[in-house]
Amino acid sequence: MAESPAQTAFAEEALTHLDTLYRGALRLTRDPDQAQDLVQEAYLRALRYQHSYQQGTNMKAWLFAIMRNLFWDRFKGSRKEDVSLDDVGEFVLYDKLRDEGAKPEADVLDKLAATEVVKAVEKLPPLHREVVLLVDVEGFSYKDAAQTLGVPIGTVMSRLHRARQQLQKSLYDYALESGIVRANGEHQVQQ
Amino acid sequence: MNCKDCSEKLDRFVDRELNSTEVLELQLHLESCPDCQDHYEFEAHLKRLVKHSCECDTPPAFREKLRQLLS
Repeated sequence: MAESPAQTAFAEEALTHLDTLYRGALRLTRDPDQAQDLVQEAYLRALRYQHSYQQGTNMKAWLFAIMRNLFWDRFKGSRKEDVSLDDVGEFVLYDKLRDEGAKPEADVLDKLAATEVVKAVEKLPPLHREVVLLVDVEGFSYKDAAQTLGVPIGTVMSRLHRARQQLQKSLYDYALESGIVRANGEHQVQQ
Repeated sequence: MNCKDCSEKLDRFVDRELNSTEVLELQLHLESCPDCQDHYEFEAHLKRLVKHSCECDTPPAFREKLRQLLS
């Protein structure tokens, strides 16, 4: 595929960001096979359009943008309006748990299984999920996330805020269902 | 800074998005307020939990396939 030393060098540098792209694709598609197809197509497209990449800029963000744009084109038909998020109001897990007498960090977070956290993330609508993936999982700044998603920084912040509230509500619901906390005012926490 | 201001800025503090003046003000508040310090530790812990839970390795066979395809 790479036809010159410059293309080979570009491909090698791009591949250093493979884990980020695969993680993002897996969480967006929620399917390992679709994730691999998406990532492969993203890399082929990146190589084809490498002239549009500006040396010295954030290659990880550039690649992620290609991948997520393909995701919306291929899996969502670019219908970005399909993003309804349950209105959970102002839900702050920390406050909720404190109100119920649990010591939040020690009693709850340590008992949450990684698989349940992933489920809560994957339950978010894609437009909100991708902000959590960029900022919380990949450690992007708001500015880089905004550039990657093609939206203003304020949009990143508002989506992140709503996504975190929904995420915390999902984790709270799981904690209730699994008995990690009990919302009966008895302040009991499962040992 | 009071607890309400601190709570409003906690997300951006955890995300390292505050400017240096705001960071200093918030750190001074946290040092004097155990409740807000506890809240901060909870939010930072939750962010780490989300990150670690969502991390996964690229399957080696796929990595190799892609490497060959691009070379």
